[in-house]
Amino acid sequence: MLSFSTLVDVLFFGLLFKSIINKSLVTCILSLSWSIECGKKRKKMPMFQMQTKLDVNGGGGQVLDLETAVKDGVLGGDVGGLVVYNGVAEKLDLKKMIEELETMEVPSVFICPISLDPMQEPVTLCTGQTYERSNILKWFSLGHFTCPTTMQELWDDSITPNKTLEQLIYSWFSHKYFAMKKKSEDVHGRALDILETLKKVKGQARVQALKELRQLVTTAHSTAKKAVVGNNGVGLISSLLGPFTSHAVGSEAIGILVNLDLDLESKRNLLQPSKISLMVDMINEGTIETKVNCTRLIEKLTNANDFGSENVSSLSLLVGLLRLLKDKRHQNCVLVGLCLLKTICSHESVRKSLVSIRAVPQLVELLPILSNECLELALYVLEVLSAVPEGRLALKDCPHTIPNVVKLLMRVSESCTQFALSILWAVCKLAPDECASLAVDAGLAAKLLLVIQSGCSPVLKQQSAELLKLCSLNYSVTTFISKCKLTRTIQ
Amino acid sequence: MLSVLVENMGLLCSRNRRYTAADAEENAQTEEIERRIEQETKAEKHIQKLLLLGAGESGKSTIFKQIKLLFQTGFDEAELRSYIPVIHANVYQTIKILYDGSKELAQNEADSTSFVLSNEHKDIGEKLSEIGGRLDYPRLTKELAQEIETLWKDPAIQETCNRGNELQLPDCAHYFMENLHRLSDTNYIPTKEDVLYARVRTTGVVEIQFSPVGEHKKSGEVYRLFDVGGQRNERRKWIHLFEGVTAVIFCAAISEYDQTLFEDEQKNRMMETKELFDWVLKQPCFEKTSFMLFLNKFDIFEKKVLKVPLNVCEWFKDYQPVSTGKQEIEHGYEFVKKKFEELYFQSTAPDRVDRVFKIYRTTALDQKLVKKTFKLVDETLRRRNLFEAGLL
Repeated sequence: MLSFSTLVDVLFFGLLFKSIINKSLVTCILSLSWSIECGKKRKKMPMFQMQTKLDVNGGGGQVLDLETAVKDGVLGGDVGGLVVYNGVAEKLDLKKMIEELETMEVPSVFICPISLDPMQEPVTLCTGQTYERSNILKWFSLGHFTCPTTMQELWDDSITPNKTLEQLIYSWFSHKYFAMKKKSEDVHGRALDILETLKKVKGQARVQALKELRQLVTTAHSTAKKAVVGNNGVGLISSLLGPFTSHAVGSEAIGILVNLDLDLESKRNLLQPSKISLMVDMINEGTIETKVNCTRLIEKLTNANDFGSENVSSLSLLVGLLRLLKDKRHQNCVLVGLCLLKTICSHESVRKSLVSIRAVPQLVELLPILSNECLELALYVLEVLSAVPEGRLALKDCPHTIPNVVKLLMRVSESCTQFALSILWAVCKLAPDECASLAVDAGLAAKLLLVIQSGCSPVLKQQSAELLKLCSLNYSVTTFISKCKLTRTIQ
Repeated sequence: MLSVLVENMGLLCSRNRRYTAADAEENAQTEEIERRIEQETKAEKHIQKLLLLGAGESGKSTIFKQIKLLFQTGFDEAELRSYIPVIHANVYQTIKILYDGSKELAQNEADSTSFVLSNEHKDIGEKLSEIGGRLDYPRLTKELAQEIETLWKDPAIQETCNRGNELQLPDCAHYFMENLHRLSDTNYIPTKEDVLYARVRTTGVVEIQFSPVGEHKKSGEVYRLFDVGGQRNERRKWIHLFEGVTAVIFCAAISEYDQTLFEDEQKNRMMETKELFDWVLKQPCFEKTSFMLFLNKFDIFEKKVLKVPLNVCEWFKDYQPVSTGKQEIEHGYEFVKKKFEELYFQSTAPDRVDRVFKIYRTTALDQKLVKKTFKLVDETLRRRNLFEAGLL
């Protein structure tokens, strides 16, 4: 690869390799730059050429940075592809490493231009381009005899294995793999350390420890999570939550717990009234992040089974959730709040409580500004509330119900239309006289006709027809049709 | 002409100067006073006003004493001594109530024999009842203490004690009766606990100013705590305190669901608390005030709820017990808490829903618990301040 044309070169290259082995960066860079200078004067060195070929492949990943490559010891320093790991030399499987390091940014020179995957058996064509052996063979088998990247006709059908590149790729991956393993061990160790600390400290130190653990759990690999769950971390953290826990401790603890997989026992433990009270408090008074975390955690806890979800739904929780929904600046608050509302409103007592705290007018007024995802949830909740008499009354009393809900028919999704129809049906059934006219004024009839003619389910169409009939009862045919504001063709 | 003018001007000027000299002093004084007024008004603004409200015997004064012990210098010997007559009075009152109660129960109950005392005990009883009926109580001597103890140990009196909820038996009864020997000692100086148990009906308003030194050790908030009398006739004095209150600490004794009022033996105490809480919540001046509900006397509640079902109180009539032991206590407590929550949200107009409302389980006699609870209250109020200042 390198040609030693003069003694000077020999000396400098010798120095280069020596310094690499000594990992003396400064000498190495100096020698490198000197040798590059020498090289420039005579002919282009392959290494230098590599540097000028910027992003030929156009894929992601940086061009192999020589400085860091040398620092990492990728260029030499390893003995024949064996990686010393924990004192035991293992011949690591490249394929396995590539799989595990999927998320890493691989240098673009290692990527096969055909598959855009890292190459395991790079071969070079006569044009000088390198591809993964299996991919280029497949290309040839399809009858092409050109170089895929340069589009040149091949004058030579030889495929040369690029051993150098193969070695380089292997080295690079080994290093990264090794580093990752070490880091995850570190993370694991650190997580265990923190858990130990938590058993002893109080006050500000406790808050700090929890903060660090949360950082680990949310950023590092799943190692941290496994470490915490596997060493009864969940139980430990849950035990820190109680009626006298400060919000500082509570918000960090919940921030950790919400990212972990909780088993049934842990969930049951967390459903204790005092812990739930704490979470409800934080929903009412914490920062946005805390509010969202607590809501998500409660949803996780109540989602599994039906047990406890009725007990969880205190008025304070419901009021807190409604307050969350009012927060226009943070849309994810609204989504998370609605998710939890949907889960807990399956109980009748909860529905009554919701109606008593004026959830209906609030939700109705929220409808025009919600995103589609949120709309479906909000309409679901309103539909569920319309199943109880107090809910129906509240829906009827709210002046915006009919216009807002009618607007949503056939606007978002079939399930939204279904919920909207049920709500309108409930309201109109309750007070046909006043509601029917309001509904028709809001353009209900036209929408219903649309539903009937659309590709919706037959049940929906049936419901629409019935509702249409109900609304048209007070009108004569002509007035009704005129109110429908139909175009002449449909008429 | 000009010279005359100039001369007179000179005179005039000097006359003014004489006035200015006296004036200057006055002005200086006025300025000083006004500056001081301004300073104090500014300082007052930083003082957070806390009100302890609640029905009679709900534990307000006990909380007041606890705060005094925790955040002020506590009680010195003179103050402790001042409680001796109060404690002795409590002893006499207790035994009188028990004795008179036993007589009444002996007359009215079907199973009257269990309330009948032996003859010699009857004599003691009469004597003590007479003492207890006086306005001025004698000092508790060893002899008297002995007699009281004999009477206390009588099975009829014990049986009457079990019916204590029908009488106006104070909650400190057991505690003082168990400690009679200590209390009657000639050199008796009350302990902190004795002072906390001592019962005096508060009349008028009492206040203290304190600063809870928190973990951060910097100058914390300054609080001024007001304690009031809880009985009905005292409540008309409350309204004068209602302006500019940061937080109301409403004490509700959850153990008294089977007891009746001191001032009206027909009214159930829990129902009275319920109505009172409702009334307080609706006060216009409390629109922005934070409410801390202390569900007090949990230690007595714990023991009672297993023996006396909650549904003897009309408000709790839909209660269904689910299990026994600790679980049942928790379940009972959660039920009561839920009832108060419902009451709060029913009585709160929609525009007031942003008010801070928190419920705490307390036992006012337990100093550690009160300290922890107050720490949480402090945290909440601080957070509220930051929120209102727009910093949160």
